Amino acid sequence: MHAPPLSLYVHIPWCVRKCPYCDFNSHAAPARLPVADYLAALRADLAGELASAPGRQIQTVFIGGGTPSLFPPQAIAQLLEDLRPHLPTAAEITLEANPGTVEQARFADFRQAGVNRLSIGVQSFNPQMLRRLGRIHGRDEAVRAAEAAVAAGFSNFNLDLMFALPEQTLAQMLDDLRYAVALDPPHLSHYQLTLEPNTVFYSKPPALPDDDSAWAMQQAAGEVLAGHGYSHYEVSAWARQGRECRHNRNYWLFGDYLAIGAGAHGKLTNPVDGSVRRYRKAKVPALYMGQVRAGTPNVEERRLHRDDLVLEFMMNALRLSDGFTIPMFEQRTGLPFKAAEPGLGTALEHGWVEQHGERIRTTAQGRCFLNAVLELFLPEG
Amino acid sequence: MKRIRNFSIIAHIDHGKSTLADRLIERCGALTEREMAEQVLDSMDLERERGITIKAQSVALRYTARDGETYQLNIIDTPGHVDFSYEVSRSLAACEGALLVVDASQGVEAQSVANCYTAVDQGLEVIPVLNKIDLPSADPDRVNQQIEEIIGLDTDDVLMISAKTGQGIEDLLEALVRRIPAPSGDPEAPLKALIMDSWFDNYLGVVCLVRIVDGRLKKGDKIQVWSTKREFQVDQLGIFNPKKTPLDALETGEVGFVVAGIKDIDGAPVGDTLTHPARPCAERVPGFKVVQPRVFAGMFPVSSDDYESFRDALGKLRLNDASLQYEPENSQALGFGFRCGFLGMLHMEIVQERLEREYNLDLITTAPTVVYEVLTTAGETLSISNPASLPPLHKIESIREPIIQANILVPQEYVGNVIALCEEKRGEQKDMQFVGNQISLVYELPMSEVVLDFFDRLKSASRGFASFDYEFKRFQDANLVRLDVLINGDKVDALAVIIHREDAQRRGRDLTERLKEIIPRQMFEVAIQAAIGNQIVARSTVKALRKNVTAKCYGGDISRKRKLLEKQKAGKKRMKQVGRVEIPQEAFLSVLQVDNKNN
Repeated sequence: MHAPPLSLYVHIPWCVRKCPYCDFNSHAAPARLPVADYLAALRADLAGELASAPGRQIQTVFIGGGTPSLFPPQAIAQLLEDLRPHLPTAAEITLEANPGTVEQARFADFRQAGVNRLSIGVQSFNPQMLRRLGRIHGRDEAVRAAEAAVAAGFSNFNLDLMFALPEQTLAQMLDDLRYAVALDPPHLSHYQLTLEPNTVFYSKPPALPDDDSAWAMQQAAGEVLAGHGYSHYEVSAWARQGRECRHNRNYWLFGDYLAIGAGAHGKLTNPVDGSVRRYRKAKVPALYMGQVRAGTPNVEERRLHRDDLVLEFMMNALRLSDGFTIPMFEQRTGLPFKAAEPGLGTALEHGWVEQHGERIRTTAQGRCFLNAVLELFLPEG
Repeated sequence: MKRIRNFSIIAHIDHGKSTLADRLIERCGALTEREMAEQVLDSMDLERERGITIKAQSVALRYTARDGETYQLNIIDTPGHVDFSYEVSRSLAACEGALLVVDASQGVEAQSVANCYTAVDQGLEVIPVLNKIDLPSADPDRVNQQIEEIIGLDTDDVLMISAKTGQGIEDLLEALVRRIPAPSGDPEAPLKALIMDSWFDNYLGVVCLVRIVDGRLKKGDKIQVWSTKREFQVDQLGIFNPKKTPLDALETGEVGFVVAGIKDIDGAPVGDTLTHPARPCAERVPGFKVVQPRVFAGMFPVSSDDYESFRDALGKLRLNDASLQYEPENSQALGFGFRCGFLGMLHMEIVQERLEREYNLDLITTAPTVVYEVLTTAGETLSISNPASLPPLHKIESIREPIIQANILVPQEYVGNVIALCEEKRGEQKDMQFVGNQISLVYELPMSEVVLDFFDRLKSASRGFASFDYEFKRFQDANLVRLDVLINGDKVDALAVIIHREDAQRRGRDLTERLKEIIPRQMFEVAIQAAIGNQIVARSTVKALRKNVTAKCYGGDISRKRKLLEKQKAGKKRMKQVGRVEIPQEAFLSVLQVDNKNN
């Protein structure tokens, strides 16, 4: 058996304050972050994870949150130091950062620590929108953050933007994009704001633009971004040539990933029998640290069944504009291609998916209605 | 036989019939306290929940009167809702007397009046009883006056009771014994027994509730059903007191159950006569007219896999409910199901609820319709209980709709509202009389206007004080058309309704607008049209869905995204596919709600 490429996800679960739309595992930061304890837990957790994938190099690292940039660069440096023997020189190492002033001052240190890609959570450049989103930065900070990233030596960075924000107009959305592309980021994530369960917005929904307005925004944004030389390589991701996020691409191509940190999710293929398991860590930081200390960091583990493998592969791979190839499907799932055929056949019939030689990808319609396409791969029952 | 008293309790819903029955059972010591579940007579869960009686039941009690004799008192229960008036006459046919129970503060209600007339017509001794006299709001003088004016009963000997506290129960028992005549059959004559009711028991087969008119029925007897001439052997017989109590024989005048290995309910039709084949009676008991369902609706399993179990469930329900009719119906939109006939809306609701609750079925019920008479250009008269089977316009000479006579009793202060309601429903006033502070209204109304929501509307127009009863009068020519609904050009048979031409435009508009709200946006535009024949009278459009894709999905936690897909798929399973369009179940009921929207 041949194992797929391996990544590592590191979760830092604290934020200065929780945003009303955010459903990630984040917790308002206490007055003093338990940096030393958490770092110790991450390192112990990492040692265990590495032992579960012996001899495999880690192609990409993503330090997400929360707000990882709240964490001191020395702590990040220590963690990366532990990883060093497992990282090829070309490894992509991303850290999520907020555009706050404090964080900006650390950018150079993060770069020094070995981080080579920043993902900056701008969300919007409009002060009114930022307030509605509960963000603690303003327009100027957002602009300066991108400049600071470049100045700190990050030639590779991403700006996160959201659209269809509360009461946002098309003109406001276009304004946001203008600010963004002026900063010339190699990568842009452009998400539609969705109301997720267990968020403030979900229980008290703000007035969001209707479906037709959101659609108009998406269309207009596509034209602007394509016009500026960005390619639309995933549902919400745009990048300059060669600057696609390798870490996320590994998720979307059903690669493997180790997971450390509170609430982190991992996926690992057993190279011997080809079986795939998913697992996660405890969500609450204190609980997570306790579990690691007790030597039982994983709180939930399941082995994927054949049907799960097909569905979960498609849920990821069909998000990519390029789709996937038949050998890729067989390698990553360990299943013969015919396992995908019932659903794929129907999707082809509907014109939602197209096949060129060994490559399979969604059509323009399939991309718009990806959830309808994926439904075809849900196991019966 | 001289010490048997068979009687019914006639009462409006909530006037205390079941409580009174409980008190009588308790007083006569038929049950220990532990066994004394509240309201013993209403045994079906649904009956208890809705506080109504659906099926006739009987209980035999022993009462030692002041004259020292022990009497057998048979309480024959009667349903208290307008849908079930047919069952009332069935129950009364087995009695010599009836208690008219009236709430001493609420006064007389139309349903009781109707049932009371039936009792008087059948020659029963009716004893008026004022219940709830312990309440401060009780007004016996006013209610007595109503009883005299509306029903025409003498209230000199009216009984004043409180079924709740037990006050007056002793006098009531004495009055039962003294005033209600003993049964008058001939014990020596050949067996003649009336089948008052029959139901299906999973272990015993059909159980018949019978009244022995003449002769004597013993365990082991060979019996014959009059109309079918089919013969059976009596395995078990006895009485309910209220527990099922086996006996060796039922004597003249008694009411009890008979089990005779009858496999299906049509083997012992309600209203039929049982006799001994060796020594048959000369003539049958005058039975009841066969009840005709008045309201029809299509019922379809949400999942076509459930068709078989749905058919079985209907079969089982019908074992206990001869008034339920059904025949297979194939709808283009809803697939295979059944066209079901009901006595009225409540009956329909009860059947639907029982199917869903007791048989665990998920059903779509189409808008109910009444039966129309269609005269074709070929000179045929068709009975149409399904809008989809209405012949094409050019083949219709005329359509006749059923007209009912509604008898309404309403306190004066609400009479304006009620008249307005009747006028809105195209009613024609036939009579209006003042009786005490109540007004008795008689209207003729198209039945189609009554079956949908008239009862609820009447209640809200009168703050619950108006009561009504109706009877079928005749079929009458009307300017009726079928309003079809087309979805992306496909006619949806299950959404068609028969309505008055003058309402077509408005109903069409309401319906298309409502459907527009109910049908979710799809991957393409959906046109909803309402049409009479080829003429489109209203149109609305559900705009195409732009996209359906999850904005964010990282490899990390995939389980929630997966649950969303599962939910989406489950949602679609509950939809019905018409052409390429997915239509939620509510759409098929929207036809019903058009009227409510305009309230």
